[in-house]
Amino acid sequence: MRALAVSERDLKRFMRNPFVIIASIFMPLMYLVIMGNSFQGELKHLPVLLVNQDSGPYSRRVVELLQALEDGPRTLEITRENDQKKAVDMVRDGFYKGVIIIPPDFSKNVVKNVEPQVGLLLDNTDSISAGSISGAVSRSMAYLKSDYLAVRPDRATPQLRSIELYKKIDYDASLVPGIIVMAIFMGTTFTGAFSLVMDKFLGIHESYLSTPLTRFDLVAGTIMSGVLITTVMSIIVMIGGLMITGIKLAGGIGTLLLLLVTMVLTALGLLSMIFTVLGRADHPRIVGVLVGFLNVIFYFPSGAVYPIESLPNWLRAFAKVNPEAYAVHAFKELILKGSGFTAIRGDLMFFVAFIAFMLCLATLTFKRTM
Amino acid sequence: MAYAAEVKNIVKKFSSVTAVNDVSFSVNEGEIFGFLGPNGAGKTTLIRILTCLMKPTSGQASIRGIDVVKHPSLVRRNIGVVSQALTSDLDLTAYENLNIYGKYFDVPKKERKQSIDYLLGKVDLKDRAKDLVATYSGGMRRRLEIARGLIHKPYILFLDEPTIGLDPQSRRVIWELLQKIRKETGLTIFITTHYMDEADVLCDRIGIIDYGKIVALDSPANLKRTIGGFDIIEVTLGNFGTEAMEKLKAMPFVKSVTEKDESLRIYVEDAAKSMPVLFEEFKKTGVIIEYLAIHEQTLEDVFIHYTGKTIREAETQKVNFFIGAGAPRKMPGARI
Repeated sequence: MRALAVSERDLKRFMRNPFVIIASIFMPLMYLVIMGNSFQGELKHLPVLLVNQDSGPYSRRVVELLQALEDGPRTLEITRENDQKKAVDMVRDGFYKGVIIIPPDFSKNVVKNVEPQVGLLLDNTDSISAGSISGAVSRSMAYLKSDYLAVRPDRATPQLRSIELYKKIDYDASLVPGIIVMAIFMGTTFTGAFSLVMDKFLGIHESYLSTPLTRFDLVAGTIMSGVLITTVMSIIVMIGGLMITGIKLAGGIGTLLLLLVTMVLTALGLLSMIFTVLGRADHPRIVGVLVGFLNVIFYFPSGAVYPIESLPNWLRAFAKVNPEAYAVHAFKELILKGSGFTAIRGDLMFFVAFIAFMLCLATLTFKRTM
Repeated sequence: MAYAAEVKNIVKKFSSVTAVNDVSFSVNEGEIFGFLGPNGAGKTTLIRILTCLMKPTSGQASIRGIDVVKHPSLVRRNIGVVSQALTSDLDLTAYENLNIYGKYFDVPKKERKQSIDYLLGKVDLKDRAKDLVATYSGGMRRRLEIARGLIHKPYILFLDEPTIGLDPQSRRVIWELLQKIRKETGLTIFITTHYMDEADVLCDRIGIIDYGKIVALDSPANLKRTIGGFDIIEVTLGNFGTEAMEKLKAMPFVKSVTEKDESLRIYVEDAAKSMPVLFEEFKKTGVIIEYLAIHEQTLEDVFIHYTGKTIREAETQKVNFFIGAGAPRKMPGARI
């Protein structure tokens, strides 16, 4: 009977916390929607460049087959580019996953029967996408081969020459950028606004609210300490991640500096966002529920474990405003490719705008009185 | 001359509940002003309005002539606050707690160091300055928080039930500390309490608040006088005859005399003032005092007179939709 009394107490308290009940029901369903759409089997919409330097009939046939890949299973999203060097640079800078090059003598070599080749340069730092592109283009080339067999069986079989732009990166190593972003997110959840929530919960906030501290002092001060703690944590996680996966940092001191800037901006962005969300919360229970929820909705559609390009349209639209997506992209560029400022300029610009917006919002919505 | 604090027709409503209802009073410079009231009477709400933690629904309040709604930052620079809950940081040392608050008030480094040393000495925590506050008792934390409230040399110090939950020894230490600070610095002190003895010992004037309204405001002695009734001097006397009794009854401050068993009950307006005269008279007439006890009017009598005996309902708390009713509002000494 006493055990029943204990249960009765717990049940009554649970039923009188509507937010926890709603969250308990709503969040698993949200996880289903987000995670279910984040891992969708075959990849789609992988952006590739096509440089067709041949005007002959066989190159047109290759283009048609690639076009079929875009129109049918939608594996690729092909953009035409005439300048081969520019195309390769755009892949290196992370705007595209690969570039298909049809050389000027392709049709001639088919006719001459001298090993006609189609080049495929891949960004192999995203091993899942690289594998899918390579497989899809190879299958297209096989159709080309069967076309020839039907008409002129004596002609040479076109070959796909696949080139990986970077040193081989294992799948676990490709997860390191995402893990750093996760570490930053975790850091932002128990520093920054969380300190203020705990102060409110314990009634400590009354003492400093009666000092001349302004709303900005409180918001900026707690965020600054959060940035420091979170950045140090993420550096340790990065070093640990690199040691476990055995990858060496590409790039030099410039890349290291850019890494630090990215970590600081990511921490600042996420802390400002969490502050906006939790600025008025006064119970750690709210933090616990919201943080678990935010972690799922930001992490999975960030490109950390699955390419953003292959997400459904609505999740891709969300990824455009998801700060973790920009952070993952920037860390991938810097850690796995050793890219420079150009490759992450867009990510950093997003963060600057995002931080400015969130800091203003956090300051405006933060309640200075009791 | 501006008052140290002035409140004019302040009203504070929470939904349908009026916590403070058209309250007006003023606090003079250098006095210890006490606010006395039952639980939920509106004491804390009023102190929060004066310390810019809450905005009033209507009315005006000012500190040193500065409006608390129009110029809260300026007001905050002039006030020191010791909240009802224990609010010092447990994970910091006493020195660190004071140092950080000094920075909040932009106290220069050199001055800050001097103030911290001085204040830690005053509150008798110099030897424990480098210890984590987590190792302190409730009384020590409260003393530290009083020091913290004074780190920027405020014009007025607000204390919201500063001795709540403390043992009698710690309470007395706090009283002596506040009296010493006032004597040495002339600081104005505004204190809320529901301990009658505390208000009686500390305060120059007392306002009694009930149901959000001030029901009485005066010095403790005057408040006791206003409710009528007298102090009682109970004596057992030797060599006391009819003549002596007649003389006693004729004394101007003696209101009446009754006999009970072997003792006399002498009703006077002010026992403290009457005693020396009585002793002198007994000595002259050869009367011997065998037993003596004094029953003075207490503030508790005053308090009950003005607020009645009904137990108050606590102020209505709004249940938070997100977390239900589970959020503690005050947790003195709590630590996670």
